[in-house]
Amino acid sequence: MALFAQLSAIICPIFICAAIGFFWKRTGQGLDPDLVTTLVYKISVPCLIIATFSKVVVIPQALASLGLASICLLTLNGILGALLLQIFRLPTPSYLPAMTFSLVGSMGLPVCLFAYGEEGLAHGLVVFTITSIGTFTVGAALAAGRVSVDKLLKEPAIWAALVAIIMILTGWKLPVWLSNTTWLLGGIAIPLQLISLGASLAQFEVGSLGRAFGLTILKLGLGFGLGVSLAELLGLSGIPRAVLILQATMPVAVSNYMFAVIYKREPTEVAGMVIVSTAVAAILLPLILAWLLTGG
Amino acid sequence: MSVLLEIATIIAPLFVIAGIGFAWGRSGMPFDTNMIGSLVVNFAVPCLIFSTLTRLEVDISDFGAAAGVFSLAVGANIVVSAILLRVIKRDIGAFLPATVFANTGNMGLPLCLFAFGDEGLALGISVFVVSASANFLLGVSFVSGKLSLRETIMAPHLYVVVAALGFLFAEVQPPAWLANTAYIIGGMSIPLMLVALGVSLARLTVSSFGQSFILGLYRLGFGLGIGLTLSWFFELEGVARGVLILQCAMPSAVLNYIIAARYDRKPDEIAGLVVGSTFVSLATLPLLLLVAIQGPG
Repeated sequence: MALFAQLSAIICPIFICAAIGFFWKRTGQGLDPDLVTTLVYKISVPCLIIATFSKVVVIPQALASLGLASICLLTLNGILGALLLQIFRLPTPSYLPAMTFSLVGSMGLPVCLFAYGEEGLAHGLVVFTITSIGTFTVGAALAAGRVSVDKLLKEPAIWAALVAIIMILTGWKLPVWLSNTTWLLGGIAIPLQLISLGASLAQFEVGSLGRAFGLTILKLGLGFGLGVSLAELLGLSGIPRAVLILQATMPVAVSNYMFAVIYKREPTEVAGMVIVSTAVAAILLPLILAWLLTGG
Repeated sequence: MSVLLEIATIIAPLFVIAGIGFAWGRSGMPFDTNMIGSLVVNFAVPCLIFSTLTRLEVDISDFGAAAGVFSLAVGANIVVSAILLRVIKRDIGAFLPATVFANTGNMGLPLCLFAFGDEGLALGISVFVVSASANFLLGVSFVSGKLSLRETIMAPHLYVVVAALGFLFAEVQPPAWLANTAYIIGGMSIPLMLVALGVSLARLTVSSFGQSFILGLYRLGFGLGIGLTLSWFFELEGVARGVLILQCAMPSAVLNYIIAARYDRKPDEIAGLVVGSTFVSLATLPLLLLVAIQGPG
């Protein structure tokens, strides 16, 4: 019973926020995606990164191991995902991004926050930042045919991550007014991301769900397996280990759909994967959380 | 010196966040104030109210007292402002709401939070609920010329206050899933309100200040006077005193402009009143805070 209350305290906020976005869109109200993206990614997420690392005391070594684990996770996810797609004879460019990049922001961050408090959020942000860098470099490289560094440098989150690293290494803290300001602005990111996730799910045109279901099982299974093994191999324990496993098992990121639309890579199929994987995660996530929280 | 530093710490987040909104509005990038406003009013603010009141376990008598004293302030303001508008021969229906109803939400709540922490926010919310309800009820009624209950009844914040007070009365903690949901959604409200305030200030076109500007000054000056008088009369101290003074002295609410524009009742002049009083208020904020955070004498 206590476990049930604990799990609902983690899962309910996520699905209620997403449901608000879903019904918002379904009742015909607009949710300007450019406005949301600018507010969330240019302003709020960088502030959330700075505010969290200014507030939370973390162990630099554990963060570095988690960062390394995230890089390995993305790389192995990409390589093994490509192999699986080859075996099933599916077009790699259409499906590989969806197999690799997970919903580590809008769903991963609140899960980490509610399961492990602000320390959990800090560790979740490490995986999130590295995944974002991966999306911008590799994602952009796959699309444009070359790595564009200046696009990466235009992301305020990268600069915020640098400030966070400096704060962790030197022990320097922000002045009160600045930490108050960034803390408040950081409060926009998680709920607004979730609302826009719900709104996106409400407007997707979905292709065949059968294939999406199969790929979802492959993706989540691969992610979970990699998360558990990498945590073991790199000697992670406690919160860093739990955060790595949770973030590795997140559903397919919505940004994959956006890329698929822009570059005409079977967007309806990718949309199906986003929806099916989110639905499966609603069942799978409580199970993984129950396992982790009871000392798994 | 330490007081100056304290005041700078209180107002810096407000200026930075509203400044982001102002720059956004001036840059001409699209910012759908209706969407953000609707998100804030229907979801974020109700969640902030619920979360603040249940988390803090405010004393219900303090909460009620703040609402009661502020209601007196609104009453006195209506009477004096109506007489003033009659004397200077202005359209009472059009100008009365904008001279009476202050920005206790977008601007008042962040200030109460920054100046007095979560306890200040809780008392600020008490004032805000009275002020917003009266602003909807009387504001729309004055401007449209007929009594309209619809907006007041439709506004979700009244019901949320009742629900939160129910938990407080029963001395029951809300379940963790509800508390977490309200906490996370409520966290959007103050930054989004401030960004939206900045955007509105950048966008409202003011054709002529003139008399509207003077009415704006009157709103700030008389509001401050009434806040000081009532806090002296009821011997309020500390956070209760500071919150009442801050909330009474806020500039004219942006909602007044929205209502004026909807019923096409002198929207340009109301815009002048709102923008004028807000800019003057921002400029004089350090002085106001000095009065509010330092006790009498």
